[in-house]
Amino acid sequence: MRTNRAEALALVLPAALFATAIFLVPVGILLSEAFRSGGTWSVDAYFEFFSQPLNQTVFFRTLKLGVLVTAVSAVIGYVAAFCIVGLEPRNRGRIFGLVVLPLMISPVARTYAWIVILGRTGIVNQAILGLGISDTPVRILFTETAVFIGLLQLFMPLMIISLVSAMENLPRDAISAARVLGANWLQVFLRVILPLTREGLVIGGTLVFTGSLTAYITPAILGGAKVLMLETLLYQRVTVANDFLSASVIAMILIVMSFSANVLLKRVATSRRGGTP
Amino acid sequence: MRKHSFLAIAAALAASPAMSEDRTLTISVYGFNQDKFEELLYQPFEEICGCDIVVETGNSVERLAKIEAHAADPVIDMAVISSHDALGAARKGLLQPIDVSKLSNYDKLYDFAKDPLGDNLAVGYTFYATSIVYRSDKVGIESWSDLLSDELADYAAFPDITTTQAPISLYMLGKALGDDGHSMATPISAIGEKAGNFVTFYTRSSQLAQLFQQEEVYAAPVGRFAWSRFAGSELPIAWAAPGEGQTGGINVMIMTKDNGNEDLAHEFMDYWLSTEIQTKLAEALVDSPANSEVVVADDVAENLSYGADFVSTINMLSPAVILDNRDGWISNWNETVIQ
Repeated sequence: MRTNRAEALALVLPAALFATAIFLVPVGILLSEAFRSGGTWSVDAYFEFFSQPLNQTVFFRTLKLGVLVTAVSAVIGYVAAFCIVGLEPRNRGRIFGLVVLPLMISPVARTYAWIVILGRTGIVNQAILGLGISDTPVRILFTETAVFIGLLQLFMPLMIISLVSAMENLPRDAISAARVLGANWLQVFLRVILPLTREGLVIGGTLVFTGSLTAYITPAILGGAKVLMLETLLYQRVTVANDFLSASVIAMILIVMSFSANVLLKRVATSRRGGTP
Repeated sequence: MRKHSFLAIAAALAASPAMSEDRTLTISVYGFNQDKFEELLYQPFEEICGCDIVVETGNSVERLAKIEAHAADPVIDMAVISSHDALGAARKGLLQPIDVSKLSNYDKLYDFAKDPLGDNLAVGYTFYATSIVYRSDKVGIESWSDLLSDELADYAAFPDITTTQAPISLYMLGKALGDDGHSMATPISAIGEKAGNFVTFYTRSSQLAQLFQQEEVYAAPVGRFAWSRFAGSELPIAWAAPGEGQTGGINVMIMTKDNGNEDLAHEFMDYWLSTEIQTKLAEALVDSPANSEVVVADDVAENLSYGADFVSTINMLSPAVILDNRDGWISNWNETVIQ
């Protein structure tokens, strides 16, 4: 056992050294700048950052959109994953391929397509006008709604992939058994499917939430300067104001938010473990 | 053939006494139209000088950061950049004066291009006008303040404060509102009050052209260098002549301090400023000529900022004003408009 462990460590060592030298050390140096003030260690930069009303707005907007995209991805993802897993293997592969396909297309191309789709003359507004929902085209572009739609489309495949993987390991008889014993579909989901697929939800949720927080292209193109998010604010601080201190603070906030989301999701999953049938 | 910085590094590593005779000029430029620059400027110059040009591209901040990081041992010989970014580099001591006596084409330049920063720290090689582009079938534009009119509510766009176009557009809007001071408090406040009326605060003219095409935007301030994107549209799009006039800016050449390659850099600058090259770049709609002897056809002039008469009408903000006030403008904008 000890030999196996030593071998494993030896095998991991080159990659660990590489990641430390190429990634962790530079990131550490960059982020440590945000804790230096007047030659001493300090968190003043963080107080200064959060004292600005704009920064507070941007922080909560980023958090809100990240949570919303993750939650809606999970809801749609469960439905999609349930349907995909229920298909015969050949069709399952085809549909799964369609889910994965957007991930092979550049986010820039995908996001620019949304500019056309969500525009005043786009298909969404044509539908709104055609259905009589509104007499005039609705402005969707450069709003939080546009950013939400763009992020959802961008990251939902990651949630579906994670949940499909989790649901493939779900014993098929478990759902039938629950139904036979009188559980309705909501009870089946909450007491059977959800507990048994929580690992997939944690992985998918972490990927979607982290991706939503750190995506730059989609908020920049679909939200623009009117819907600043942390990553677009970071870009502004660096490229225009040459303010690397604020950029370091924002980077650290994004990292903390990402890790917090992962820890929180894991804790939620663990806390439900006691209720597993 | 496009050359990259790694080629220079590889060449340096493989250097031999014979190769040390070779001449290489490393330049830092905007990424736009590099295929045309390669054809019209770099290749012809390489043939004349028997040297190699290594081209580095990127946005202004990235390029300036590299110049600053290598200040002790410069890796860039000359760069082209906006006049206010050039002033920023000059204040950090990154530049050396250009020896204009080595520029045979210097006297042909418009006066405003000859010494825009003082002490010959820069030479203008192109300039542009900025005005309002608008849908002539939907609205009329008589003044910069028309951008705030109810007629344009929900259909106007404005450059984001982070762009080069924003300060000069704000300046003209302030002028229309009766405040041509440099605090920009009046125009920023006015835009803040009508922020909901603006479709977006754009960062790229290519993006704006698409929004015009989708009928998302009817009017927005734009640099003349981007006019061809709009003029080619089937939609009736016009270039406004507001009562307060047009604004604009200038891009300059700079020489990095102690780069050791000054002679070749001067040769290249002079070639770029020559009537022949400035004409070719103008005819390809790459850059408006700063050389006053350039003559182009009417259809070319239509797409550029061109001619001595036109130059004299442009309201420019000095680089020092932009550099000294930019942080304050961004802060005020973020609090008043974005908030």
